[in-house]
Amino acid sequence: MSDLVVDVLTGAVRGGTAIMFAALGETIAERAGVVNLGTEGSMLVGALGGYALAAETGSPWVGLVAGALAGGLLALVHAVMVVWRRSDQFATGLTVMFLGLGLTSLFGAAYVGRAAPGFDPVPVPLLADVPVLGEILFQHDPVTYLSFAAAPLLWWWLRSTRGGLLLRTAGERADVLHVHGYRPGLIRGAAVVAGGALAGIGGAQLATAYAHAWFEGMTAGRGFIAVALVIFAAWRPLWVMAGSYLFGAALALAPALQARGESLNQFALDALPFLITLAILAILGRRTLRAAPEELRRVFT
Amino acid sequence: MTTQLTPTPVASPLVSPGSGFAAAAGRWAGALAGAIAIFSVLLLAKGADPLATLGDMVVSMTTGASLEQIVIKAAPFVLAAMAVVLPARAGLANVGGEGQVIIGAVAGAGVGLVVSGPAALPLMLVAGALGGALWAGLAVALRVTVGVNEAVTTLLLNYVALDVMLYLIYEPWKDANGSGQPATPPLAIEQRLPLLGGTAVHAGIILALLAAAAVWLTLRHTAFGFRLAVTGGNPEAARRAGLPVARLLLTAMLLGGALAGLAGVIHLAGIEFKLRPGLTTNIGYIAFLAAWLARHNPLPAVAAAFMLAAITVGGDSLQLDSGLPAATVNVLMALILLAVLGWTAKRSPS
Amino acid sequence: MRKLTTLAVLLTLPLIACSANTTGTATAPTAGSTPPGKDSAAVGFIFVGPKDDFGYNQAAYQGSQEVAKAFPNLEVITAENVPEDDNAARVMNSMIAKGAKIIFATSYGHLDAALKVAAEHPDVAVVQQGNLITAAVPPNAGTFFGTVYEPVYLAGIAAGKATKTGKLGYVYAFPITQTIDNINAFELGAQSVNPDAQTFTVSTSSWCDPGKQAEAAANLLKQGVDVITQHQDCTATVIKATEAAGKFTVGYHADASAIAPKGWLTGSQWNWGPLYTDIVKTALGGTFTGSKYNDNFRVGYRTGENPFVQSPYGPLVDDATKAEIDKARELLKTSSPFAGPIKDQEGKVRIPEGTVPDYTTIEKIDYFVAGVVGSLPKS
Repeated sequence: MSDLVVDVLTGAVRGGTAIMFAALGETIAERAGVVNLGTEGSMLVGALGGYALAAETGSPWVGLVAGALAGGLLALVHAVMVVWRRSDQFATGLTVMFLGLGLTSLFGAAYVGRAAPGFDPVPVPLLADVPVLGEILFQHDPVTYLSFAAAPLLWWWLRSTRGGLLLRTAGERADVLHVHGYRPGLIRGAAVVAGGALAGIGGAQLATAYAHAWFEGMTAGRGFIAVALVIFAAWRPLWVMAGSYLFGAALALAPALQARGESLNQFALDALPFLITLAILAILGRRTLRAAPEELRRVFT
Repeated sequence: MTTQLTPTPVASPLVSPGSGFAAAAGRWAGALAGAIAIFSVLLLAKGADPLATLGDMVVSMTTGASLEQIVIKAAPFVLAAMAVVLPARAGLANVGGEGQVIIGAVAGAGVGLVVSGPAALPLMLVAGALGGALWAGLAVALRVTVGVNEAVTTLLLNYVALDVMLYLIYEPWKDANGSGQPATPPLAIEQRLPLLGGTAVHAGIILALLAAAAVWLTLRHTAFGFRLAVTGGNPEAARRAGLPVARLLLTAMLLGGALAGLAGVIHLAGIEFKLRPGLTTNIGYIAFLAAWLARHNPLPAVAAAFMLAAITVGGDSLQLDSGLPAATVNVLMALILLAVLGWTAKRSPS
Repeated sequence: MRKLTTLAVLLTLPLIACSANTTGTATAPTAGSTPPGKDSAAVGFIFVGPKDDFGYNQAAYQGSQEVAKAFPNLEVITAENVPEDDNAARVMNSMIAKGAKIIFATSYGHLDAALKVAAEHPDVAVVQQGNLITAAVPPNAGTFFGTVYEPVYLAGIAAGKATKTGKLGYVYAFPITQTIDNINAFELGAQSVNPDAQTFTVSTSSWCDPGKQAEAAANLLKQGVDVITQHQDCTATVIKATEAAGKFTVGYHADASAIAPKGWLTGSQWNWGPLYTDIVKTALGGTFTGSKYNDNFRVGYRTGENPFVQSPYGPLVDDATKAEIDKARELLKTSSPFAGPIKDQEGKVRIPEGTVPDYTTIEKIDYFVAGVVGSLPKS
């Protein structure tokens, strides 16, 4: 039994990392007042960009950078549309998702079935041998270790730096920025692009560290999950981290049980992550909405 | 670039009505031309001749059979687009069309399993509408009770709906006499929507157009429609004016869900006849975009639904005539949507 | 208001001219019509996934290209990502409009659409890959398939020989009959040389979700499984995970030994070209109706050239194992992996001793055999 818990938690970290990067990216965009349903698309182009460049250059690190660039570039479309062309955020995001889906299957065919070097697990010396925690946390790929730092870093950056303050103000009181000679639009656009880049890193992690393959549509809704996570985490990076692992755990539960010969309804297990997310949203309810950045509340109500 | 970056007041109205028709047509033509130009560049990158490719596509859309197919595809799009339009008037974003369509089809199929004879079809339609309403109701209940945003919950419920359907067709509802594939038994002839005189088009399109007309009437000419608009415009003001905001939101969303559920059941009873995996092939999402293309005006949304149906059908030509990958049509659709969303609205001066 | 009444009347008007929706159920006329597919100028192929998926669809696409090579004057029209619903009928109809009188619907779920198209076009031969027509077979339709579970059974022998833990893993998508047959045959093959071998099953509920596949493989490996095979449309993720763990791979769809140079044992893959070419030849000649393809045609080790072939061996398969597999292959020419006695997971005898079930019976198996770990939905 305890061994099941360890497996599920290890799986939670393994499978939650890609979602976490995307969700942290979405946190940045939403703190600046923009919802990006195109996160799913940014993850996809990141996955293809990451895998393709790893295959072409032989270095998964180059792939990771390419994934970030690709994800950011697709998010730029969303930024331009939403911030400067004032189009609707939900509809544009969904369209950007379709664009990412179309472009990646158009240009990704060549990389299906092609081998590419990826990130392999690197156990952290000493820590990896700590009972229980070592297996859950310290026997992963390098990108997963980066993700451990990403959420606290973002938390600190948003809280304690001038850049973080500007970003938050763009999401809360854009007119204040305006008075002080800043351009809220520019800050928002940059936030959306940075968010897309993080989603791209998530996609690249999925393709080059977790699945070690590229296939069209391989993100399978993880980008949408990321968007939902940000809301139930009330736009706080550390909660996003926890939420990503919770979702990863829900995903990891089915295979962990099945590999032990436990039979639970396949479709009920598949629905579980979504039901858990819904339940948490329902429980937290108004508390999350009160935490929403002011500009976002306009989008959401 | 610099001119675009000038700070502008936040949340200024997207559209101001009353712009000239000629100007609007010009913007649309410009946007479409831009989308097609970018698409042509992509075609060149894939080594295809843009002129021949697009020419073949347009020709392929105009044959009799294609026109029938466009109407068949458009029927659920129209209904599911209305499912976005109606709640949107009250300021609700219903991204859950896909799930509501699925549950509508599931409810219809469920009734079809137990009821036969002439009563079956009407009961299936009612059940489909109720099913869709129930699914949308879950999301809007969370919205009005605990204030969770409906865009997110409806999106999540889409995935749950799919699992509900898969469970049913792999387990209790699986056709015992089938060849083992996960699907319900086919609907009997009397459970199907009739065909319109001599064509392959089923009567679902009539229902869809009637529903669109009803939505248009409701929004434009009834007190209910007006209240929805007030609520959507400024909920706080509506509340202060004594409008029952929660009830209005609930009603709008339930009606929307019912329309999407109807879309599912007419798709089932008109053309598919069996619940099966992939039954809806993105009806809900495409309809969501159709509604936005039309900026939530019911009659233009009908036109947008037909346009997206036409692109889907015409998209076959990209593969069959020009040998391009299947995904090409997604790119074309996305480019057109972006162009229209971003460059056809008349902007208030900033 | 008057205008609205007129509108309503106009909209309801077509209802008066309604007819019963018998789509797909009309029987094709037989007498006097042209034989289906005769002298067709083109042949159409629809695939459910991308034609370069390195798996099921790519194999079918390669088959279509061999048809193009065999009949240089024939136009070969292909369409990928064709969903398993009425969209498939639309695409097939477009192909017919372009002159195709022979249509291959290559995915399991394309059957209903294929039958509908066949009913609408008596002069077009429509064949569907992998499913069964349970009612009377129309004169211009048919299904065909190989017995994929036979090479899977042979691969099971290699797995049973290779395993040290006695635990084999199977990653699958959905519990359709084809998959159930494969899982059972794999376990039966392993049991034939290793009576204690067990096959642990994990479903991903998706034909291709590499993330879920990675998790499935990781959990199987954690439970001590040391040979993994799968029934998925995209296969690289599971194979790479198994290879990275230093365990054995049994392939499916394609020879993927390149990405598992150490742990590759063998596998099953396709060679559709000869069968497709023969079907096209039969139809072009005007003799489709009444031919073996105008039926639920199955070909396997008992009847001739199985389009499913065993993949090449990897370096760690020893000669004794190869000899064992050769022996079994010979035996399959007269027998079946499902030759009785076959017991289900509860120990109940499902196929009695001495019975060699025919292909259709095997395609209706809806239980796991003893030794498979995991459960199937009850319907």
